Amino acid sequence: MLTSTGPVLATLLIIGIAASLGIYPIKKLIRVQEAKHELKHGSPGFFRTMSGWIIIAIWLAATWFFASIVGDWWATGDLSSAIGRSVRRLELLLRILAALADD
Amino acid sequence: MTESVAIAQTDLLCTNCAGQCVFDPASGTLTCLRCTSEHRIAIDPDADPSAEQHYHPDLPHTEQPRFTQNRPYQCETCGGEVVFLGHSISESCPYCNGNLIEQSSDESYVTLGVIPFALSDERAQINAQGWVARRWAAPSDLDAIVSRSVVAGIYVPFWTFDSEEAVDYTVKYKVRSGKRTYTRSYSAFMRTKFDDLLMPASPHVTPLIRDGILHEFEPGNLRPFEPAYLAGFAAEFHHQSVREGLKHNAADKALLLRNRIKKHSGKSSITKVSYATDTTGIKYRRILLPVWILHYSYQGKPMKVVTCGLRGRTFGERPFSTVKLFAFAAVVSSAVTAFGFIWGALQLF
Repeated sequence: MLTSTGPVLATLLIIGIAASLGIYPIKKLIRVQEAKHELKHGSPGFFRTMSGWIIIAIWLAATWFFASIVGDWWATGDLSSAIGRSVRRLELLLRILAALADD
Repeated sequence: MTESVAIAQTDLLCTNCAGQCVFDPASGTLTCLRCTSEHRIAIDPDADPSAEQHYHPDLPHTEQPRFTQNRPYQCETCGGEVVFLGHSISESCPYCNGNLIEQSSDESYVTLGVIPFALSDERAQINAQGWVARRWAAPSDLDAIVSRSVVAGIYVPFWTFDSEEAVDYTVKYKVRSGKRTYTRSYSAFMRTKFDDLLMPASPHVTPLIRDGILHEFEPGNLRPFEPAYLAGFAAEFHHQSVREGLKHNAADKALLLRNRIKKHSGKSSITKVSYATDTTGIKYRRILLPVWILHYSYQGKPMKVVTCGLRGRTFGERPFSTVKLFAFAAVVSSAVTAFGFIWGALQLF
């Protein structure tokens, strides 16, 4: 029972925290969408609005990463092993984010 | 204002009934408000409003325009007093509704060209309200607040700048070799040109709004400055000297230059761009462009939606609803969390 309640509560906590932290990335996402459809491409305003979009990727990646640990925990019932297995995922995620940031 | 200022007023009266005329965007004529006669606007056939002026820092046209804040004039139609405030060059008499346009031959702020309005106020109002209605995560009461405001037509001062750049640059970029990352640098030289960079010379239009409403600028559409084009609309002269205009344009130009350098270098993962540029061949135009502005206030904060008076492109400032942003974030977070949860549960990686 404890093993199933823990992951469920953790999942709800992740959604709550991600939603609270997601207000700014969502605002940025809307501004980026507006820029893509309404600003002149290649204009200074377009470049300024598009810059900083990496915050959206970081928010989504962090949410996905923590949720994947909880999913692993729920399936195996072993939190510390789930955290251990997540290290490789974290390395890959950081590489992807670094590549995106470079672009 | 200098002594070289003249007022155009009687030229704007109807030649049939002496009624007040305004510029009509639909017909492109001066239209009488009383008898609806349309008068073609005569322009100097030899004038070339699209011609550019060469910038020489030591010439008087780089000086800050001289003017006094309040400039009273006597209306030639009714004798009432009309006061031109600040940068305004187009006013209407509060007693007889007659249009008065200030004209100056002072080289430091004479308008070189104007593109007349082509979009009606009804169309601009629809565009502005439509733009607001399409905003995501906007407060629910925003539509109602904006619909209480109406658009106002104004000729906004702009600069166009041309220049040629000879750029020596160095970029630093990352390369990966196995698990290690190295930083390398690459230096080169490039020549590039800027043609007709538009820079607003009034706070009514911010550079961001400019990029939203003016996707294309066609110098061929410029007309010589004629007071008749301004009749019935607000208008301003430039808030800056040429030198100040160039200074305001510098940030935009630097941003574009950095992007051109990145492209020219052909490198990816660029972390730093440094350059020195030799700028020559600076040319400019001092022009007026037509915009419809809808001013509104949301929770005490003044905002505006601007519609281009040429083709109707619209962009502006808008507030966000924190509750709606949170709701959007909650939906996206739930979806991503579910995806991550399943990924972890299946132990895919």
